[in-house]
Order: sequence, then C-alpha cells, then structure tokens
Amino acid sequence: MIRASRLAKAFGANVVLDGLSLTVTAGERVALLGLNGTGKTTLFRCLLGQLPYDGELLIDGLDVLRDGRRVRSRIGYVPQRPPHFYGTLGELVAFFGGLRGLDLHAVERRMADLDLSLQENAAKSVSALSGGMLQKTLLALATAVDVPLLLLDEPTANLDPRARREFVRALERVSTDTTVFLSSHRLEDIRAVADRLLLLHRGRLVFDGTIDELEAKAGAGSTLWVRLSDDALERAATVFASDPRVAVHRNGSRIGLEASSSELPGLLAELGDLGVKVLDLRTEAPSLERLLAGFVDESAP
Amino acid sequence: MNARTRLRLFVTRELGHALRARWFLAYSAVFLVGGLLLIALGARDTMLVGYRGYARSLAGLVHFAILFVPLMALFPASSAIAEERENGTLEYLLAQPVTRGEVFLGKWAGVALAVVLSITVGYLLAGGLAVLRGVPTRFVWISYAYLLLLALAFVSVGLVLSTLAETRARAITLGLLGWLALVALGSLGAMAAFVRWGIPSVALVGWSFVNPVEAFRLGLVALLDPDLGLLGPLGASLAARHGATTILWGTALSLLMWTAVPLFLGASGLLRRREGV
Repeated sequence: MIRASRLAKAFGANVVLDGLSLTVTAGERVALLGLNGTGKTTLFRCLLGQLPYDGELLIDGLDVLRDGRRVRSRIGYVPQRPPHFYGTLGELVAFFGGLRGLDLHAVERRMADLDLSLQENAAKSVSALSGGMLQKTLLALATAVDVPLLLLDEPTANLDPRARREFVRALERVSTDTTVFLSSHRLEDIRAVADRLLLLHRGRLVFDGTIDELEAKAGAGSTLWVRLSDDALERAATVFASDPRVAVHRNGSRIGLEASSSELPGLLAELGDLGVKVLDLRTEAPSLERLLAGFVDESAP
Repeated sequence: MNARTRLRLFVTRELGHALRARWFLAYSAVFLVGGLLLIALGARDTMLVGYRGYARSLAGLVHFAILFVPLMALFPASSAIAEERENGTLEYLLAQPVTRGEVFLGKWAGVALAVVLSITVGYLLAGGLAVLRGVPTRFVWISYAYLLLLALAFVSVGLVLSTLAETRARAITLGLLGWLALVALGSLGAMAAFVRWGIPSVALVGWSFVNPVEAFRLGLVALLDPDLGLLGPLGASLAARHGATTILWGTALSLLMWTAVPLFLGASGLLRRREGV
C-alpha cells in the first residue's frame, strides 16, 4: 500500500527525512512513533503530495507527486487539529464530502455509527462543537466509503480522555481491508489500534516491529501496580526480587512489577498462587521517553 | 466528481463566506452611496452643460473607484488562502482529492464573483440613474466593464499574495503597499520623475499601460474625453497618434493581462510556499 524508497526532504540546511525507506502492505495497521520534530508530519505531508521530495513514494502503486489527486482520492485523512471551518457542521460535511464525491447519506450513516447525529447537529456552528465531535466527523468523512488507506496524524492529541477513548473505539470499527497509518505520541492509542510500530528519529527509521518487541529491546516494560496487605507485600517482594523477568518497585502499600506487557497476566496469576489478596491494581505503560531511550541519543549531532 | 463540480463547491463556499463576513454588503453600500452622491452632484452641472455634467460626475466616480475598487478586491482576495493556512483548513483542503490549481481557481472564482456582485449592485443603480438623466448607455456599460476589469486584476494580485505570504496580515500588508505604490507612486511619482529627471514621455505613456491603476484611468479618460485634452499636450499627442479606440483596447488588454497572468500562475499550481501549504 505504501512504498517509500530513499525518501529525503530538507528545509534549507535542516534535513527532516534522511533517505527513509519503508513498506506497508494492504490491511496493515501501522503506528509511526517519534519525538517532536523527527519528521512524522513531514512524512505525512509527503504522503499527501503536499511537499516535493527526493526519492520515490508510491501509494497503491501510484506515484504521489505525479498522480497526487488520484492518490488523495484513495486516502482518508484525519489531522491533528480539526480545521477552523467558518459555517455549520452541515456545510462542512457538504463541502468536504462534496470534494471527495461522497454520498452525504453515507457520511450521515457513518457519523451515526460513531454516535453522532448529523441531523441534530447540522445547523450548529462548527466553532461551537467539541474537538471530539469534530474529529469524529472528520473520521466519518475519511471512512464514509472504504478507502484503501487511512492516514491519522496524531488524531487524539487534542482530545480529552473520554473523547480519546471514543475516537479509538470508533477506529476499531474501520474496515479491516483499510490500511491504517497512524502517528501518535500515546502508547495506549498505538496499542489499541496498531499491530506494527515504526520508530522515526532524525528522519530515519530506527525500529520496525511490535510494541512488545520495542519494550523488550528498550528494556522497558509495563508495570503492574498492586495494593496488598503489609505481610503479603513483603512476601511478594521477596518472591519477585529473584525473578529475572521482573523489576520490583515499591510505593507505600503498593508493589510495582515491571515486565514486558505479555508477562503481566502471568504475574497476576502468580500473585494469586502465592495466596495474597490483591486489594486493587492498575497497569502503567512505560513512558515514551523510556521506550525511546535505547534508540534515541539526543546528544548525537 | 469532475472539476466543474469542485469549482462550484468552492464558489458557493466563498460566496457564503463573503455574505457571512458582511464585507460584501458593506462594499456594495459604500459603492452605491458614493455613486449616487456623484450622480446627484452631476445633476447640478447638467443645467449648464448637458449630459457632459454627468460625464464629469462619472469621472469623479472613476477617481473614487481608483481608490476604492482595488482595496475592495485586495482585502478578501489576500485573506482567502492565507486565512485558510493560518487556521489549518488549507492543510486539510490539500489532503482532499483536489489539485493546488483547483483550490486557487476555486478561490479566485468565488472571491471574484462576490466582488463583481458587490460592484454591480452599487454601480448599476448609480449608472441606471445616470442613463435616466441622459448619459449615453454605452458610456455607463464601458465604465462598468472597466471597473470589473480593475477589480478582477486586483483579485488576481491579492490571491497570489495570499498564496505566497505566510499570514493573512502579511498578505494584506503587502497588498496595501502594492496598492499604495501603484496609486500614489504610479501617478504622482511617475509625474515627479518625468519633471525631475526628464524621463522620456514615451516611457510615461508606457508606464500608463503597464500600471493597472493608470491603465484604468487612461482608458476611462479616453472614454470621457476622446481627445485626451484632460491629460495635457502629451495626452492630446497620444490621442492624435493612436486614437481613443486603440487606447481603450490597449488599456483593457493591460487590465486583462493583470488578471490572467497571476490567474494562470496560480491555476497551474506553480505558486507554492516552501512548507507546502
């Protein structure tokens, strides 16, 4: 679906994409991860044909620069910030839906799938709508028909936690035939949506694999925090201190068991085997900085 | 979805935007009031000099138009794309199956139609009154066509600035500076240079065809006064050598070029900023 070969883009002396090569096959759900300024947005703009570049970039077999309009007709796009459209929601849907040649009833049905009524909100000014409603509207416009490629540029970055959860749930309903290419800083979103992760740093691909592989490679796992009674806490700490898979953390009456995400259910079961009563629990994903630490050397020139 | 349908969507959106922003109604009102005032003043002169009194008031309208029409075209045109860039709509727009040229052409058509409607509402009422008072219809129609050409030229220029400038404020500032240069330096400055440095008269005449504001003025003067006596000996010599009709067509062609060249550059997608949007 996406094939980039030696993709390069510089703004003056600032090299943003440095000979990037990658392939995404049809139906894959891929997340693009990286710190700010690593070239994620520039890559998206290249994919959309908004920027000239060196190298080769094909989407669905079409050259992005030569066949820009045809390429974009195959892409559903949701940006980080919804556009400040002057007018009502109905006008926004009619205008952008019209540009995409969409049947407005299809957009309306898709919005209904996302728990958003076009009929009830059509007359509302776009500026009066919440960010979550707007992002869902853009997702409905992007997916009203089954597009081959869905590009999502940090779509949940400006949403509150509830809207973010709703948006991610909405993404789960996108056709499995659609290739999803998502850029995000949020590991929970990536975990929910993507099954492959690309790590971009200084315009180069420094990792390509699953999130578990990234955690393992970075030596940073998720942490299972459990609250136990005092005696149970000591017992658990002693048992897990000698387990090479686990790093043990303490915080008051809580013990944190840090391991790769796939190990956490097993650790919870082992706690049960110890006969300790878990009073409550929560999981904590590793921070992005921690995950990237092994790949990203900020001191490098 | 063909290009014509996409163009229609842009035009509808721009017209809706113009009406919502109210500049359309404000410009129409100013133009109408200005036109009616000048026609009413012309009515007094008619008692003494016949329909030429109205011609004089229409000449007043020409000077009013030179100041006002470029501004009424520049403001919405220079905002049209830069504003979309500033509020993030342009990036989303260029992610749709449209070309950069279609966005430019659609914006141009929408803003141009709004400006043309605004001028038409204001001018045709004043012009209609003038016809009722005895001014030849041809006179009113040609001056109307010249007004539209002047407006379209500045819509094209404004839209180019809007495409290339980083922000709406910068695009409008550049537009204002350009207008000031063409209006103030274009006429008074050229005259001063002519007197001070003895620039050849042929260069001054050439400049009148190159500068859209001067081309508009020269064309309208040729319409009002085919001998170009109003422009002094240089004008009289120009009229004697080429004739008023040639001058009218030449100046109209100049205004058409000011409309067409920027429009071609924009519609062919040649104009873009380094950042892409």
